[in-house]
Amino acid sequence: MIYLSQLLGNPVLDADGEKIGTVSDLGIATGEVFPRVTSLAFMGPGRTPIMISWRKYVERYDENEVNLKVIATDLRFSYLQPDEVLLARDILNKQIVDTHGMRVVRVNDLKLSDTSSTQLRLLGAEVGARGLLRSLHPALESVALRLARTFGHPMPERIIAWNYMDLVERDLSNVKLSVSHKTLDDMHPADIADIIERLDPRLRGQVFAQLDDEQRADAMAEFDDDAMAAELMGSLNETDASRMLAEMDPDDAAELVSELDYDKAEKLLRLMGVQEQRAIRQLLGYRENTAGRIMTSEVATVPDDATVADAVEMLRGLDEDFESVRYVYLTDEGGKLAGVVTLPGLIVADPETRLSELATEDLITASPEDDQEDVAEDIAKYNLLAMPVVNDEGRLLGIVTVDDALDVLEEEHAEDLRVAGGSADGEDSGHASTLIWLVRRNVWVVLWAVGVVALALVAGTRLGLGETLAATIPLAVALVLADDSVSYVTNFFLENDPDDEDAPSALGFAFKGLGLGVALGALVALIVLGLESVIASPAVPSSIERLGPALSAGGVAAAVSTFVSFATTPIYLAVLRRRDETNKETSGFTLSLVSMLVAVVVFLAAVLALAGPLGLVG
Amino acid sequence: MMKDDAPSSSLEPRRILAAMGPGMVAALAGADAGGVATYSNAGALFGFDQLWTVPVMCFLLIVAQETAARMGCVTGKGFASLIREQFGVRLSVVAMLALLISNTTVTLSEFAGIASALALFGVPPIVSVPVAALAIWLLTMSGSYRRIEKVLLAIACVFVTYVIAGVMVGPDWGDALIHTVIPHVTASPQYLSLLVANVGTTIAPWMLFLAQSNVVEKNARAADLPYQRIDTVTGAVVASAISWFIILTTGAVLNPAGVVVNGAEDAASALAPLVGGYAEALFGAGLAGASLLAACVLPGITSSAICEAFGWERGADRSWSEAPAYRGIITAVIAISAVVVVLPNVNLFGIMMVAQVINGVLLPVLLVFMVLIASDRHVMGRFANGRIWNALTWFTIVAVAILTVVMFVMQAMGM
Repeated sequence: MIYLSQLLGNPVLDADGEKIGTVSDLGIATGEVFPRVTSLAFMGPGRTPIMISWRKYVERYDENEVNLKVIATDLRFSYLQPDEVLLARDILNKQIVDTHGMRVVRVNDLKLSDTSSTQLRLLGAEVGARGLLRSLHPALESVALRLARTFGHPMPERIIAWNYMDLVERDLSNVKLSVSHKTLDDMHPADIADIIERLDPRLRGQVFAQLDDEQRADAMAEFDDDAMAAELMGSLNETDASRMLAEMDPDDAAELVSELDYDKAEKLLRLMGVQEQRAIRQLLGYRENTAGRIMTSEVATVPDDATVADAVEMLRGLDEDFESVRYVYLTDEGGKLAGVVTLPGLIVADPETRLSELATEDLITASPEDDQEDVAEDIAKYNLLAMPVVNDEGRLLGIVTVDDALDVLEEEHAEDLRVAGGSADGEDSGHASTLIWLVRRNVWVVLWAVGVVALALVAGTRLGLGETLAATIPLAVALVLADDSVSYVTNFFLENDPDDEDAPSALGFAFKGLGLGVALGALVALIVLGLESVIASPAVPSSIERLGPALSAGGVAAAVSTFVSFATTPIYLAVLRRRDETNKETSGFTLSLVSMLVAVVVFLAAVLALAGPLGLVG
Repeated sequence: MMKDDAPSSSLEPRRILAAMGPGMVAALAGADAGGVATYSNAGALFGFDQLWTVPVMCFLLIVAQETAARMGCVTGKGFASLIREQFGVRLSVVAMLALLISNTTVTLSEFAGIASALALFGVPPIVSVPVAALAIWLLTMSGSYRRIEKVLLAIACVFVTYVIAGVMVGPDWGDALIHTVIPHVTASPQYLSLLVANVGTTIAPWMLFLAQSNVVEKNARAADLPYQRIDTVTGAVVASAISWFIILTTGAVLNPAGVVVNGAEDAASALAPLVGGYAEALFGAGLAGASLLAACVLPGITSSAICEAFGWERGADRSWSEAPAYRGIITAVIAISAVVVVLPNVNLFGIMMVAQVINGVLLPVLLVFMVLIASDRHVMGRFANGRIWNALTWFTIVAVAILTVVMFVMQAMGM
């Protein structure tokens, strides 16, 4: 067992023990699982780089020196072969993709092992802290190891074997690795997409360009970030891009095309085959977030008088990249949807059976104008793998498959979370720290402080410090209630769909808001006035007597502010619905902030209006 | 000297605007706490004597920033990545340590800037610094500082008032111009340490990393180089113009009056002829804006560079468990800076000056890495440094190194 870091820089001695240079690199043959070291590169006298065959000339090696079999003058130089890679130049310190752990890492050291007396093989790349420390100084590694053992946390090596490595910068080396080395291409497209998202922008393009058309199309459909997908698409040349679009499922392709700018999209569509182009254009004709937009037109259909054998024959003749078939649909002469047969149904049935006998004719269908969320919910409700989309005449246009429905539900869920004030944007929803959450929940304290300062500024010298503070105590209640009024709106918004007939009407909502406002406002006023009378009562020492009027002014103002908060709830609801219709994202946090600011302003106005009548102003 | 890509294709105005940005951020954040402290000290202590440094620094800044942007365009990698791949682990550790120290001290000086700016409004450091630290930490951690970047930039534009103030003070323009063109060197440790600080704040190491990472993020290619150069040059010129006017104004107002700049209120008083009683408020707002901007950028850049060099996960969208090193470094840098600044009896303005001196001392280390990479034809291809560019960078390195050595020797000898 030896590491590259221990070999580099060692003296190279010839058979006479004469030093002829220092080790600078090792070449490996890339074709094997544990590649053999094939050549030794060293710096000869006068810093001339020299390369010789490892097998022919190396006699012995260890951590201190490399001994050759012959004397310096008998050496024959060799050159780097097309399938060879230099370890230090091409791999050490470079970024690689660990296709097993599916991460992007940097190579800190390379681990080699002797399988026979002179044969040295590459075991793998060390990407952990140990390699880092060892490259700094071997002593550091042993100190760290000893420390780790003392504390009971052993430091394992993190080795990535050659067959799980993908050199992302392949084209930078002059070596053609692709022949023997296809690890990235063997991964699942969703994993490839994940890894590509983690790379630097430039490497993204390079790795993407190395994939073949089909891989590219599949990975493209898996990107979470549409803008990034569009950018990667822009980095391809136009023929490649349009070929890739043609390869993708039409619904995914349509989604991607809609991200591109108009000219580019037109150009790409025109380069595609007529049939694919028509499929995508048709989908693009539907509004965003409708069943029409997410459906695929690749449907397995047979005439309704066909037999099971006909259907199987049809399935055998399908393209390899045809959207996976879950159901076979029956259509009559007019193209109208007549029934559906499940795949298991086909398999167990006798080949001569007519499909119309097997078919379910009572179908759940969607119209292309239906909201994608409703369609997805129906798919979940009826446990379907795909739902047919038909037009008004009942003609089959396409199907919405369950994988697209899952995407829709996930997307809508994230949107709902945001409205409910869960997180500002989907990106950090998972990792939003507790602290941020706390700050968001308690932002009313800040606004209360703003209210106090504002009142002090507006009232100037007319109010003393004690009066200002006493007057703003009820503001805290008004602020919390304003925050609650927004939660009330968002809950109503999430639970009720405006198009749903059973849902309470907006008018009812408005009346309910008014009622709640009156009730809560009255409650606030009563509590504060009650509190004030207790303070003013003879039972309490009256050192705070002057503050009574201030407190009651604040209480009434808070009541007014609370009433306004709830009375304006229909406005927030209208805003939410308007933005939802135009597919804009709304953060619940922003809404609460607005509502609380309004509450502060109303409160201030009310206090000032009340200050006179209540005899506050001296 | 530089070989341009694309046979002199005419520049499209839209793309010029798109490329603008990083240069301006670097320029205005350059007028941060340390920058203002250094420049106003230079003006107050030596009048117009250090005006000559401005055009020189501007030129050197362009050389350094252009090289960084070019490396980013050609390789598509960050500076830290290139250092690691070209020089291996040991030298990366040296470079990253230099960066970490330099950036922590600069962050520290930004906190000092925020503290002294808010002190002008009567907020004591014990209140302002923890609040600012918490806010910056949250902004950097959630990656949402970019949303308020524009606001901070707008606030930092307050320093343009120095230009107006400079005009209104009615300095001796001829004298100022002569001093700009002809160097006046005073052989005192104070003068030299100011000079080193001046280099350190004008060509701050973090600016190189920022410039290159911005280019990489945007995935600018070699073909975009002309646009990146325009951005670099305008940013450098704006930054230099601001610093020139700060030295001019403080030199014309404070130096004759014999005021020594010991705190933000002294530096602000140079603005009094223009805005009278509002000088402190205006200066305070500008200083707070620029310092906040730089303090938001710095921990992220530092951590990102270190993680890039050592291959650790990084980015604001990675959680603590995915990227512990990234988040840990940011937290540590912010925490250390904030704690040092709130320690009792510290001289905030002094901290800012010391930070710039440390920056100036560490700058040559990083510049050496940069010039070696940028002139390597294996890495840069036909975009490698030309002779003149190399000579200029080496000149900067040697000049700063000599200055630093002389400064330390003079201080050691107690002159």
